[in-house]
Amino acid sequence: MTSAAETVLEVRDLVVDFTTERGVVRAVNGVSFKLAAGETLGIVGESGCGKTITCLSLLGLVPGPAGRVVSGEILINGRNIVGCTDRELRTIRGRDVAMIFQEPMTALNPVFSVRSHMVDVLRRQAGLNRKQAVDRAIELLDLVGISAPRQRLDDYPHQLSGGMRQRVMIAMALACSPRVLVADEPTTALDVTTQAQVIDQIASLQQQFGMSVVLVTHDLGVVAQMCESVMVMYCGEVVETGSARSLFSAPAHPYTEGLLKSIPQIRETRLERLPVIPGLVPDLANLPTGCNFYQRCEFHSEQCDAAKPALRHVDSASHAAACFHPRGSR
Amino acid sequence: MTTHVGNEPVIEVAERQTLWSKARYRFSRDTAGVIGLFVVLIYALIALGVGLGWWGVDWSIIRGGRFEPVSADFWFGSNLNGQDIFARTIYSTRTAFEVGLIVAVLSTIIGAVLGGVAGFYSGTWIDAVVLWFKGVLDAIPFYLFVAAVAFAMKGHPYGMHVAMIATFWTTTGRLVRGEVIKLKELEFVEAARAIGVSRLTIIFRHILPNTFHVLLVQATIVFVSAIKAEVILSFLGIGIQDGVSWGSMLAESTLEVAAGEYNNFLFASLFMFVLVMAFNVFSDAMQDALDPRAA
Repeated sequence: MTSAAETVLEVRDLVVDFTTERGVVRAVNGVSFKLAAGETLGIVGESGCGKTITCLSLLGLVPGPAGRVVSGEILINGRNIVGCTDRELRTIRGRDVAMIFQEPMTALNPVFSVRSHMVDVLRRQAGLNRKQAVDRAIELLDLVGISAPRQRLDDYPHQLSGGMRQRVMIAMALACSPRVLVADEPTTALDVTTQAQVIDQIASLQQQFGMSVVLVTHDLGVVAQMCESVMVMYCGEVVETGSARSLFSAPAHPYTEGLLKSIPQIRETRLERLPVIPGLVPDLANLPTGCNFYQRCEFHSEQCDAAKPALRHVDSASHAAACFHPRGSR
Repeated sequence: MTTHVGNEPVIEVAERQTLWSKARYRFSRDTAGVIGLFVVLIYALIALGVGLGWWGVDWSIIRGGRFEPVSADFWFGSNLNGQDIFARTIYSTRTAFEVGLIVAVLSTIIGAVLGGVAGFYSGTWIDAVVLWFKGVLDAIPFYLFVAAVAFAMKGHPYGMHVAMIATFWTTTGRLVRGEVIKLKELEFVEAARAIGVSRLTIIFRHILPNTFHVLLVQATIVFVSAIKAEVILSFLGIGIQDGVSWGSMLAESTLEVAAGEYNNFLFASLFMFVLVMAFNVFSDAMQDALDPRAA
């Protein structure tokens, strides 16, 4: 890994709670990671495992008043943003960290044209005048692969396809050349061919702009293609983290193994049922005392029920798993 | 349609199917609604003419005997003071439009602002304060409230307007609040915050324009309610202070009807009825046309 490059984003022991009618739910529990300049981190996990909340907290956007960052630090260029006021956060959002969202259908305001979307952010955050902002908007739209950008400027979101909308979102996110781009399932709502285009686009823009990317996705193929390092989350906790290479070639946590096994392999000639991870994700409001995955795990022992395993190094210094029985020791 | 920009073929969207273009199309197919709009526009023209002094200027002049019959000189006859009922009826259109417009515009603005803020901050103390305020105003019987305000602002020409605005914004506020609670969960709000837009800008520039169809329909409903309330208040003598209204004409006619003279009563009622009816039909048609769920 590029340990020599400077760290642009560091999260230390992030804990986010949500107050619900059924009590306090810990949506993110002790998540830590580092992201070097130009690096891509993939966050993988099932729905509701805290991926999106982790992303939102990077911009200070945890939905209050129910959600709250309880403890931990989020250092962006060395500055801790936990506890910053909204006014302070506004100078970070869009400039240091930008985000693209899952639903291109609702992520653009239906009453604003592409021009207003782009010019607004360029004037606000990059401090351009109207004329410069329009010129820059056309450049950016061209950059994200929108053909005839000048004509598209006066279109409204409902006149654009899903892929086009996502491209407009990406162009907006790039407006101020952010250090970190947070992409929360950017391709989930798109069809497969568009998905590939958008992912390629993000990868090439990352190179051009020298950004770091936090990519949240369900698609392990995309992770393997784009990310240097991967973090697997389960019930708000990191269960395994490491370089994409070591994690995919030697998954240590049974949950990661399960995820990898559930990808269809095109080499297999016989049609078999895909392996599934048995059971359901436990209720976040009512988590077991020991390992969260213990009830669904085929390797569980009494130890797993009694105590919570901590992240421990497995085969290398960068590869760690939170399991008492990682692969190799069972 | 295909045009060529450089070497790339670009498919252009031939028809812009926005909410508004669809609404215009649906409205144009609604015969009753179009007739309603047409009638409302005639009334608006009458009111405008009065405002500019083109007609209806001699509404207060005594220029004949009492109870003149309908004639070429007195189109609608004269009242018990010998005033021209036609001029008074026409002038009342201006009164109705003035009250309707002022109340509709201001109560819609107040409702949008307070409803928008309450909806955006739903579940917090800001929302609680707005809801409490709305609850208090809604709990007071309308005519008692207006009578109290009119009494407190005795002789002030805008006492009635103030009372109506203070009570009519609550319905708009409630509708906008609900709409904003729905809208603020959409990703474009989060996306706006993610690029550093301030909360107030988000409420007023990003969210409220999306409730415009609700505001428009609600404004027409308030317009009609305000006209009806103005007639009742003027009838009771706590409405229009300087001028004439269908309500004050009806109040005069209570004496005349006893004497067997119906002109004042008939024409004031007819003009009010036709306007309210036309406005209701127009408002219904607009509501249907702007319904985003309609096919």
